[in-house]
Amino acid sequence: MALATENKIADTWFQKNNWQPYDFQVKTWKAIAEGNSGLLNAPTGFGKTYAIWFGVLQNFYAKKKKHYGLHCLWISPLRALSKEIYIATERVSSELQLDYTIGLRTGDTTAKDRAKQKKAMPHALITTPESVHLLMAQKGYNETFKNLDFIIVDEWHELLGTKRGVQVELALSRLKAINPDLKIWGISATIGNLEEAKDVLLGAYAGKQVMVRTQLEKKLITETVFPDVIEKYPWGGHLGIKLIDKALEIIRNSKSTLLFTNTRSQCEIWYQRLLERDPDLAGAMAIHHGSLSEDTRLWVEDALHDGILKVVVCTSSLDLGVDFRPVDTVIQAGSPKGVARYMQRAGRSGHQPGATSKIYFLPTHSLEIVEGAALRHAIAHSEIEQRIPYIRSFDVLVQYLVTLAVSDGFKANDIYNEILQTHCYSSVSREEFDWCLSFITEGGNTLDAYNEFHKVVIENGIYKVTSKRIAMRHRLSIGTIASDSMMQVKFLGGARIGSIEEWFISRLNPGDAFWFAGRNLELIRVKEMNAFVRKSSSNKGSFPSWQGGRFPLSSNLTRVIRQKIDEHYSTGEKYIEISKLATLFEEQKKRSHLPHIGELLIEKIKTKEGYHIFIYPFEGRNVHEGMAMLFSYRISQIRPMTFSISMNDYGFELLSDQEIPLEEALGNALFDSSNISNDIYHSINIAEMAKRKFRDIASIAGLVFTGYPGKQVKTRHTQASAQLFFSVFSDYEKNNLLLQQAYDEVMTFQMEEARMVDALHRMESQDVIIKELKQFSPFCFPIFTERFREKFTNEKLEDRINKLIDQIEKQA
Amino acid sequence: MTIEINNFTFTLLYEKALYKHDERLLIIADVHLGKANHFRKEGISIPAEAQAGDYLNLEKLFNKINPLKVYFLGDLFHSTYNRDWHYFCDLIAGFPSIKFTLIKGNHDIINHKKFKEICIEVTETIEDSAFVYSHDLLKTTITGKLNIVGHIHPGTVLSGMGRQSIKLPCFYLTESVMIIPAFGVLTGLYSMDKSAAAKIYAVLPDGVRRIS
Repeated sequence: MALATENKIADTWFQKNNWQPYDFQVKTWKAIAEGNSGLLNAPTGFGKTYAIWFGVLQNFYAKKKKHYGLHCLWISPLRALSKEIYIATERVSSELQLDYTIGLRTGDTTAKDRAKQKKAMPHALITTPESVHLLMAQKGYNETFKNLDFIIVDEWHELLGTKRGVQVELALSRLKAINPDLKIWGISATIGNLEEAKDVLLGAYAGKQVMVRTQLEKKLITETVFPDVIEKYPWGGHLGIKLIDKALEIIRNSKSTLLFTNTRSQCEIWYQRLLERDPDLAGAMAIHHGSLSEDTRLWVEDALHDGILKVVVCTSSLDLGVDFRPVDTVIQAGSPKGVARYMQRAGRSGHQPGATSKIYFLPTHSLEIVEGAALRHAIAHSEIEQRIPYIRSFDVLVQYLVTLAVSDGFKANDIYNEILQTHCYSSVSREEFDWCLSFITEGGNTLDAYNEFHKVVIENGIYKVTSKRIAMRHRLSIGTIASDSMMQVKFLGGARIGSIEEWFISRLNPGDAFWFAGRNLELIRVKEMNAFVRKSSSNKGSFPSWQGGRFPLSSNLTRVIRQKIDEHYSTGEKYIEISKLATLFEEQKKRSHLPHIGELLIEKIKTKEGYHIFIYPFEGRNVHEGMAMLFSYRISQIRPMTFSISMNDYGFELLSDQEIPLEEALGNALFDSSNISNDIYHSINIAEMAKRKFRDIASIAGLVFTGYPGKQVKTRHTQASAQLFFSVFSDYEKNNLLLQQAYDEVMTFQMEEARMVDALHRMESQDVIIKELKQFSPFCFPIFTERFREKFTNEKLEDRINKLIDQIEKQA
Repeated sequence: MTIEINNFTFTLLYEKALYKHDERLLIIADVHLGKANHFRKEGISIPAEAQAGDYLNLEKLFNKINPLKVYFLGDLFHSTYNRDWHYFCDLIAGFPSIKFTLIKGNHDIINHKKFKEICIEVTETIEDSAFVYSHDLLKTTITGKLNIVGHIHPGTVLSGMGRQSIKLPCFYLTESVMIIPAFGVLTGLYSMDKSAAAKIYAVLPDGVRRIS
């Protein structure tokens, strides 16, 4: 007999299924019934959907008057997840024979279904942030949302800290204005800044707010995979293939395993090597990553769900989404970079309530073993990372303003007051808002009297788009995920396999073989943006790589790593990872030095490439990149020099063709943390980094039009690269807010300025140990072998070029 | 930098143009005038001021070189007629002694009559005893003649010690083809392969240097 709650619909349904509601579910129903907005924090697999859903249903059926139109909008970050929510909620309606209708609307929804929805909206619509904005780009959207009572934002922790989260904030500000009584509920996994997550979602709107948390915890076992002989395990690398036999053993001993890799190309390589090593896996193994066609991915997801796959090699594409009950084991190849991501991935196994998640950490080089210890420590002490929300994203704002102009048009004052209620735009001044308006009406500041700019026009104080072509193009580009110039890979018959970046295909000749989607393919011909291929029997070929951001190791993990390395010196009980690493640490001591927690290690070595300095703050690659640039700048104040910079999550390298005056720089307050923004802005690389950030910004703000993948729209003579816009704005329109935004994003997200200041403070108080090396140490070797490099220079361009040419001539 | 090709003397100008001495011929490719305005009409805001740089650069170059003839090697205008046409006419009117010819590029869709009105000849290719001028590479090479083209917007990446690198516009010369850099401010760069058969001349801020 189930406990009777104040939610009769829930009671009936739980009794019918012979289930007992959790405390947090009852609490949430009550909070919703009392008219709160709020944030629900609960782990996956405990029925958080129903905790919200029955609150929504209760509200609906408590109404005295019949409710017409849309009652609840359920936003989830993933289409696959939307489907799952649809099934779960539809089940309630059908089992209880409720007349509460539910619809799905994602990028997959057919035109027919969309038209049907337009005529008569269901009571609840399950959708994505982009689709909500698309709805707001339709004429008469006000009407559609007039009676909306609830917005539920699922997996808010995934959206927070992304521009899709900003899209949600903007949509909320508009919908709140249409119906001030609208209640907002978020569902979030545990993150380090849950209170902030709630505040960002709920904005500055009036009304009652609560946070519902549950003490339920998912059981999780994590284990590090060790090489048999640590001394033989490589000092550098990103793949972890050397441990393939250990991985196979785990796979064989499990029912169904997900093997997570950090990049799509690592994913392809692992798949291929596993198949070579154990051909019996053919048919029982699949590959899943973001560049494979939707069909392939859906097939894999269904097969996982049905339990017919022994192992799936995947990337973050399977972080979220469908619940794969048969999966009992997860392997993480390479650093997961954060505790939250590691736990999320672990949670893909043992998905049932009460079941245990099992995850193995497989290090890709020997020093990385220390992260296994850091992960276990952080999980045990539940030190979960924060998600930093975006603020002042003018690109998303510009897109949003055009969206509103495309549908019913807007009045500037109304929208300005609305966006001030959001977290993202609360600090935007009227001048800045007016700049955005001028950007979409006049194309920014212009001195030319004959301004032919045409996008948004003002009629009787209403901003609107009158050109059908501009409206259509805008609708096709709504969203915040910029796609690269991707080539579609297809069989000759036309079946689509997936997409690869253009530059990779352009380096191949017809007849060349490459690996993709776990197959060996032969390039037949390239036509427009399609690469036609056929299956090849070759067992050679190159692996494509995709560009994509590399996450830095989180500050939670780096802090623990510093402690764990120090543990080597302690005589007490140690984590097994630290004991296993004893020989490597001894080698480090022999060749250089193993830093205590109060020490900062700097290594110097001269090779035929030049003079190298390695510094080890253990603060994640982003901070290292910024710090390397800062130090390059400060050192080059002593004398003009050019540096090549390399880094990993543990330290960074400065390499120069001249001897680096390190001691002098240390004497001149190299670690000084005051005035770092100023010093960073003086380094040329900040512009380079901003240029890269600008790619997304330009696309979101509608400067670069790519359209949807596969739905390229003809754009006669209006294609220019984001890089060109960046340099033209830099030269001719310095006050452009999008340009400024690119720099701000670099400082906040790329340089992690706040974290860098903390690190510099710490370094100022540490004892600096400088070691001159005769040969590379275990610490510096992986940094030295990093392929991706940055540069810093304050030498004059001409001098640099002449020097480069002289070097080339000398070699010739 | 001055070089000999097929016994004729050429100067590779750091202003991103080519000068043929015997005919006092200045060759300029891919200016893309009107690009900013074309984008702006479509609701994409390239600052209109950026284009002004092209007119200034052209004027400065004409004054410096004082050529008898100018070949625009295609993509002189980015798209359809717009206000930039008038700016261009004003510029041309200032140099009545120069004979201008437009060799058509894929972007040149402005009616030929308009060019005729201001005494600019429009043609697909120009061929003489040693050279063939066209916008894009000719499909078939003519033995013994060098094809001088634009269209590609060639660039080259220099890399050296300390793993530094930098990307610059360049002239790209092989046995049969000379590709000249794009002149316009609003143009990007396409990285050329460094094949053994090609000579690459990088364009620096104040000169041109051979790099391979």
